[in-house]
Amino acid sequence: MNKNYLFLAILMIILAGGLLILPERTNYTQINPEDLLWDIIQPSRYVTTDQVAKMLIEQDPTLELIDVRCAKEYDKFALPNAINIPLDSILSPNYSDYLGIEDMNAIFYCNDDILADQAWVIAKRMDISRIYIMKGGLNCWIKTIIQPTPPPETASGDEFDQYDFRKGASMYFTGASISAPKSDSKSQVTIKRKKKTKATAGGC
Amino acid sequence: MGPLIPQGIITGQWDFVIALLIGTAFGFLLESSGFSSSRNIAGVFYGYNFVVLRVFFTAMIVAMVGLLYFNYLGWIELDMVFVLPTYLAPMILGGFIMGLGFVIGGFCPGTSYTACAIGKLDGFAFLGGFIIGVFIFAEAFPLFENFYYSGYMGNITIGEVFSVSNELVTFIFVIMAIVAFYVTWLIEKKVRKNRTESKFE
Amino acid sequence: MKKNSNINKGPRYINPYFGGVLLGLLLLATFYIAGRGLSASGAVKLSIVAIVDKIAPAHAEGNAYYDKFIPTDGSSPLFNWLIFGAIGTFFGGMLSGGIYGRLKKLRIEHSPNITGTTRMIAAVVGGMLFGIGSQFGRGCSSGAALSGTASLSFGGLLVMVFMFGIGYVFAYFFRKLWI
Repeated sequence: MNKNYLFLAILMIILAGGLLILPERTNYTQINPEDLLWDIIQPSRYVTTDQVAKMLIEQDPTLELIDVRCAKEYDKFALPNAINIPLDSILSPNYSDYLGIEDMNAIFYCNDDILADQAWVIAKRMDISRIYIMKGGLNCWIKTIIQPTPPPETASGDEFDQYDFRKGASMYFTGASISAPKSDSKSQVTIKRKKKTKATAGGC
Repeated sequence: MGPLIPQGIITGQWDFVIALLIGTAFGFLLESSGFSSSRNIAGVFYGYNFVVLRVFFTAMIVAMVGLLYFNYLGWIELDMVFVLPTYLAPMILGGFIMGLGFVIGGFCPGTSYTACAIGKLDGFAFLGGFIIGVFIFAEAFPLFENFYYSGYMGNITIGEVFSVSNELVTFIFVIMAIVAFYVTWLIEKKVRKNRTESKFE
Repeated sequence: MKKNSNINKGPRYINPYFGGVLLGLLLLATFYIAGRGLSASGAVKLSIVAIVDKIAPAHAEGNAYYDKFIPTDGSSPLFNWLIFGAIGTFFGGMLSGGIYGRLKKLRIEHSPNITGTTRMIAAVVGGMLFGIGSQFGRGCSSGAALSGTASLSFGGLLVMVFMFGIGYVFAYFFRKLWI
């Protein structure tokens, strides 16, 4: 047999074997600056504390709260059912299963907006969709949901409705947080399977 | 980067020019490898000429390995490459019928084009039969429409079916192809001893 | 490279592995450019759709299979990547045949054990089977078996395995046609 064939066969095996030992691919496709800017200026990437409270009370199954503060702060106080993913370990493989779950709306929050916003940009870069930020963070949460201030007498009916809702929510959360221990309900989390995006139409 | 056309990097009528060029290269390679002769092709079933197996498997493993490297380097988005959808039972039946057609007719559609191009009447006959076959299928389609769409598994890859990585699948294919090259080389040597002719034009 | 210099040496074909590597690179380039593989049978399918649509538009629309391939924007099914690819394949074959001296007058190639008529009938029957099979298999040997398997499609693998497998199973019964 020709020696060249032997050489070619070995080359082919090495090339194919190389695929097996290559480290996992991590180079995400670069998001276009225009696209990123467009997404950043969309107000729809923020959700209000009222919306979060409503989803929590209604036990919305698509809600995934992600606390991006450090673990110490998370242990001190966190929203019910929130998962703690500190910002500095957001890329760690331990947490990769919690990001980008199909049909789940991931809402980042921290004390204010800054850490959550940074986490949002990172997640965007990882090509994860359905990600949001809780506007104002926990400070706003305390101010609006836990200790709501009554609106002035001259306020509109809507504002009074909102105040009533907040008072109810306040009771719900402060009451519930005593009776129900903080649950580690991470079990309903399912691993996302990468879905095909647009593929070209059939061959022959 | 790639694939270029689905990403809209190449647009307009250019894709037809490219289609023509790719087709020309395809036809050239088929013909110059010896696929314009049905007796060369049929040799794969009788052991006197394994050119089909060699060209086919070499092309397959080169493309597979290349595709995965391109994906790894980020040159091509594998998710945007068309993965033929799987319809279990219809595709098995289709493979069955085509296998029969292959051993009787000695061509497949692509090779029959090149056979026609160099003036082989049996190539034209095959192509004519092919047109009739597609026509019969289309006319009779309402009879087996349900079967045609049965067993749908989506655009599933081999690795997903056997729950291994596609890199491993490719590696196994490469090994199998090289073993096949060696074994068929041995068979061919043996069979050719008893034959006066094994390559045809 | 003179024509007919191959009379004594037998047919001049390129090395099959070299051809295979080139074909593989072509396939890779096609994936890179078009996002899909090579194809041969789609062109015939679309041509038939176009002809039936022209002759009997009502019939074509009534049949779910034709209707699937008639573009909704009113353009011709012929204005398609697959058709241009097939035209290219034909001319590519002609080019290669011309260069290597195989482009000759019309002829039938057949085994000495059978007549030309038998060969023609077998070719038509084989073509018909391929026509029907390729529609069930979502592609022929180039579209499904080669490109499908190269893009790691499970369906492509199925078609390839069954096509070659059944070929070997029935090879014994049709050996008279070839050897």
